[in-house]
Amino acid sequence: MAIDYKGEHLFPGHLGQIFVVLSFGAALLSLISYYYATTDKTGNDKSWHKLARVAFFINSVSIIGVGTCLFYILYNHYFEYHYAWNYTSRSLPVYYLVSGFWNGQEGGFLLWTFWQAVLGNILIWKARSWERPVMTVIALSQVILATMILGIDIFGQRIGSSPFLLLRNAMEAPIFQSPDYLSFIKDGQGMNPSLQNYWMVIHPPTLFLGLASMVVPFAYAIAGLWQRKYKEWITQAIPYALFAGMVLGTGIIMGSFWAYESLNFGGFWAWDPIENASVFPWLTLVGALHVMIVYKNTGHSYIMATFLVLISFVLVWYSSFLARSGILGDTSVHAFTDLGMFWHLVTGILVFLFLAVYLPVIRWKELPRSTKDEDTYSREFWMFVGSVFLALSCLQLVVVTSVPVWNAIFGTKIAPPSNQVALYNVFQSAFAILVTILAGFTQFLKYKKTDRAKFLAQAITYLIVAVLVTVIVVYFTGIYRLKVVFILLMLGSVYSVFVNGKVLVDAFKGKFKLAGSAVAHIGFGLLMVGALIAAGTSKVISENTTGEQFSPDFAKESNPKENIIVYRNEPVKMGPYRVSYVGDSVSAPDHFFKILYQRLDAAGNVKEEFMLKPKAQVNKQMGGFAASPDTKHYFFHDLYTHITMFNALTPEENSQGDEKHGEDDDKNYDPPMPHQVRVGDTIHYRDGYIVFKGLGLDNKVANLQLGKNEAAIGADLEVVSRGKTYTARPLYVMKSNGVFGFPKKIDDLGLKLALTKITPATKQAEITVYQQPEGKKKFIVMRAIEFPYINFFWSGTIIMVIGFLMSIFRRNKELKTD
Amino acid sequence: MKKSSIFGIVVIAVAIAVIISTYASSSTYASFREAKQTNSELHVIGHLDKQKELYYDATKDANYFSFYVKDDKGDECKVVFTGTKPEDFERSQQIVLTGRMVNDEFHASKILMKCPSKYTQDKLETTEVSAKKADI
Repeated sequence: MAIDYKGEHLFPGHLGQIFVVLSFGAALLSLISYYYATTDKTGNDKSWHKLARVAFFINSVSIIGVGTCLFYILYNHYFEYHYAWNYTSRSLPVYYLVSGFWNGQEGGFLLWTFWQAVLGNILIWKARSWERPVMTVIALSQVILATMILGIDIFGQRIGSSPFLLLRNAMEAPIFQSPDYLSFIKDGQGMNPSLQNYWMVIHPPTLFLGLASMVVPFAYAIAGLWQRKYKEWITQAIPYALFAGMVLGTGIIMGSFWAYESLNFGGFWAWDPIENASVFPWLTLVGALHVMIVYKNTGHSYIMATFLVLISFVLVWYSSFLARSGILGDTSVHAFTDLGMFWHLVTGILVFLFLAVYLPVIRWKELPRSTKDEDTYSREFWMFVGSVFLALSCLQLVVVTSVPVWNAIFGTKIAPPSNQVALYNVFQSAFAILVTILAGFTQFLKYKKTDRAKFLAQAITYLIVAVLVTVIVVYFTGIYRLKVVFILLMLGSVYSVFVNGKVLVDAFKGKFKLAGSAVAHIGFGLLMVGALIAAGTSKVISENTTGEQFSPDFAKESNPKENIIVYRNEPVKMGPYRVSYVGDSVSAPDHFFKILYQRLDAAGNVKEEFMLKPKAQVNKQMGGFAASPDTKHYFFHDLYTHITMFNALTPEENSQGDEKHGEDDDKNYDPPMPHQVRVGDTIHYRDGYIVFKGLGLDNKVANLQLGKNEAAIGADLEVVSRGKTYTARPLYVMKSNGVFGFPKKIDDLGLKLALTKITPATKQAEITVYQQPEGKKKFIVMRAIEFPYINFFWSGTIIMVIGFLMSIFRRNKELKTD
Repeated sequence: MKKSSIFGIVVIAVAIAVIISTYASSSTYASFREAKQTNSELHVIGHLDKQKELYYDATKDANYFSFYVKDDKGDECKVVFTGTKPEDFERSQQIVLTGRMVNDEFHASKILMKCPSKYTQDKLETTEVSAKKADI
């Protein structure tokens, strides 16, 4: 029996679902129409072409409709929708509602299909004679993406997962028997704290634009094979491939920026499977770009270029599968859970894999081949070699990251390498050495034939300079302590920066065409330099040298003790710094800690002082605790601090409370110590001393009305602890119905002071001191890491993107002049 | 021999090296019993024994956390982790430990815990889903 639910807002969901279905239908219509438009022999019939365009526009509009409906639901907190309930809450600011939009998998697919629609429209506008075959492939991709958010049952099988699923359809619970169940659901689950970072507003759209734009070179390659326009597609696809490489690269680095700022990976790159998966297509695409340019200039490497373009897009789907199918559940911390889309995603991979294999195979004999070998002293040969090594480095990442996939396929139980990071570092560095060296000396080579003596003279001169500079860099940064492979990588990177620097200087003198690639290569070299130094010589400076050790054996063979405990207002020496935990504040659910860093010179004078405010978020619903580090940026290094633990503080405790007293509160303290004092006397306690300044009459006590014959007496106390002075004025109130004490707390010191007795005869007062035991005192456990020269990494990225951009303009211009 | 063939052989050699090195450096999922017989690092999958004590006291040592885990074969072992206690550790359903056996303790260098998935566990406890910030 259907229940008449109250208070639900079903309209935006229904409308959104209509748009979802419409987007699927329109994409399918567009696919079919573009297919017939392409295969139309006469070439006169424009009707299929028109229909295809209209259908694609409808698809684009529907996707915007889906997004609008979803945002409307999120913005209005309609928690009857599973998506809104699961990923957002009322306390989220609007700009995080935007990241809530792509918090779930459905949102990710939506973003992907949106960008693909945008690119499709650009192609309709720009692609001219290529529109029909290229758009057939794009429309196919739109169809497959549309099925991912369809959420419709066909033959008892749910196809895709709709963002408009209602909460009551998403889960079983007795509460849904009640028609007014919504009145019990006051708030959503909230957002995973690690996503509440401004990078999460901008990183996913960039990444997805990068992923979506990978379809364009793929579509051109397929179109070229299909239409037997083997040569022409490459020139057309180069600008798009450059764009995809630029945007995807930016998106990946933004992700590493997020990891650096938000997650506690302990760095910007951790070879997490999801991180790896995002790099697969980038590596092969960058390889593809180089051989595409080789083909354009010399006619060599056609098959390699086609293969790398095709495989790049298949890898986009494979990485999406790794991230979304739940298969990495045992190996990754941030793999999405399975939404029952495992086989759906596999189908996606297979469709594109089939295209990427079938077309080259049936056209194999017709593909352009160069008849003679490349010359050893030619640019095209070494660019080809470089591309192959990029592909091999991708292969290594794929093989190791896919261990859970091999297990699933072969029924094995291989665990991933226990020290994956070291394995990846060594292997990838080895590939990177070759790639950077090649990016260097290849610049001295010319296409087809090079003057051997001149080349060797140039290449070797620069190599010698690079060696000298590397020796200096390696010595001063401490890289020499690392494995040889990393030192060689440093050499390769420096070499690449120098050689391309020379090319850039030449470019400014005239050959401006070459500037783009030079800038991109300089950027890549600097990125490698930065990554190498920052990751290789990052130093945990919060090494714990104090405190009880559990067993000396344990301490000896275990990793260094990277967490350090800091009590409130008790400075701790940490590396060159003196660190004090001086305060905290709560803005639910965030908890900010104030940590004062003071750098001391040999004489113990403070040379530099700054405050870091790392954040910890305790979010019970999301299951836990998320720490966001705070970072002090210097020009040459970053100092990064995050909280790994703290003794729980509730917001109430934070107020400078004094009214709370009684038995319960006293339990938080050591047994009270009464002291008999006269004015001017000093009481010594564990962490300092208290001076009794005098007594004074008060006529007002907080909320208490004082009548006649009633009085409140306050004791003026001055507390000095660790060089700081605090004052407190506990009260002693005599009322007609008895005597009350109003103790004062000094939270910073974990101290409670009470005036417990006044003996006018001897002019004495009794001050009772309550002290918190060590363990009850506020403390934080924190970890601080220094990342040297991290700015090379970021600036290298920016320079590389600029280089890509310059190349895009150049290649685009070539397209027009051709 | 053509240059491209020589190069092809190099590529194939590298690819084989990659695969072999991966296989060689991959560890195995093992039980505590197997861990006791070897000195190498391995992965153990198990469940937290919630009856036994979880020990973490930052005031004594901020880098010592110990607990008991029962592996898939039912053997139980004390686990020591150098670091702070992960929040909500008690709620974990499954734990993947990376580390090696030292005497009778398993020293973990990495803990991966699987908390109850939102999709399977949430039975929508209405008492808990209350607006904490809504009235501010």
